[in-house]
Amino acid sequence: MTAHKVKITYCAECGYEPQTLDLAKALMLEFGARLGSIELIPWEGGTFDVSVDGELVHSMNREGGFPEHDAVKRAVRARLS
Amino acid sequence: MTIDRARFATGMSYDAFKGQMTRNRERLEENERRVEIRPEDLAAFRDLPRPLHVLVLAEDWCGDVIANLPVLARLSEQSGKLDVRILLRDQSDDVMEQYLNQGKYKSIPVFVFLDERFREVGHWIERPASVTELRAKRRREIFASDPAFGSPDAPVDQLPEDVRARLQEELAQMREETTAFANGEVIRELRELVTRVAA
Repeated sequence: MTAHKVKITYCAECGYEPQTLDLAKALMLEFGARLGSIELIPWEGGTFDVSVDGELVHSMNREGGFPEHDAVKRAVRARLS
Repeated sequence: MTIDRARFATGMSYDAFKGQMTRNRERLEENERRVEIRPEDLAAFRDLPRPLHVLVLAEDWCGDVIANLPVLARLSEQSGKLDVRILLRDQSDDVMEQYLNQGKYKSIPVFVFLDERFREVGHWIERPASVTELRAKRRREIFASDPAFGSPDAPVDQLPEDVRARLQEELAQMREETTAFANGEVIRELRELVTRVAA
């Protein structure tokens, strides 16, 4: 069984902790132990990136703004199935 | 909503702002100690014909606030010509909506300079463009200095943890090395703004 990994890289200087924690909590509640890990990476430069198993599923630079939780959940679910 | 005397008076003093900070106060005060104002710059503020009110939008989590608000505070303290009051951005939509960066971003800090009748004479947002440019250039150089850092546009979560830590250290050092330049640029831009007003 593959341990699926989610990584959330957020700009700590920008005060993105609430959005980071909200997303992490949503994923924890939705997927529980089906996720191997959720890694939170404090970064800089206006970053808010989410990757699932190494694939970038949301980037604030690329898409603009924060991700919809449902969109991230869909990306995770696609890898679980 | 127009900024008037009553709205201005709802703002906090710099000390009151510091008193309610829940984080970054040490960094703010360290930056305060590091601000160096050249005598000719200070004279330009001291020589203003009349004091100016300065309404600030800020939050304690914002890096640009932590870096640049102390510069304004020191100019205010040393010149005696800037009466600073601070509003929290997230509780002040009425003011924030008037000063969106490029018409859409809630960038802070915002410094709004007002005359004795609370008419706006100019405003300043976030950080000098010259600082953004210099740091972007230095950032590209850091990435170019070590192939292990990869592309500056690639997600950093793909980097091995030790490489990421090294990169973070180099970026922090770069910000440190450019702080004096950044403070000088803030002072230069604010000086240009207030002396244009006085002219």
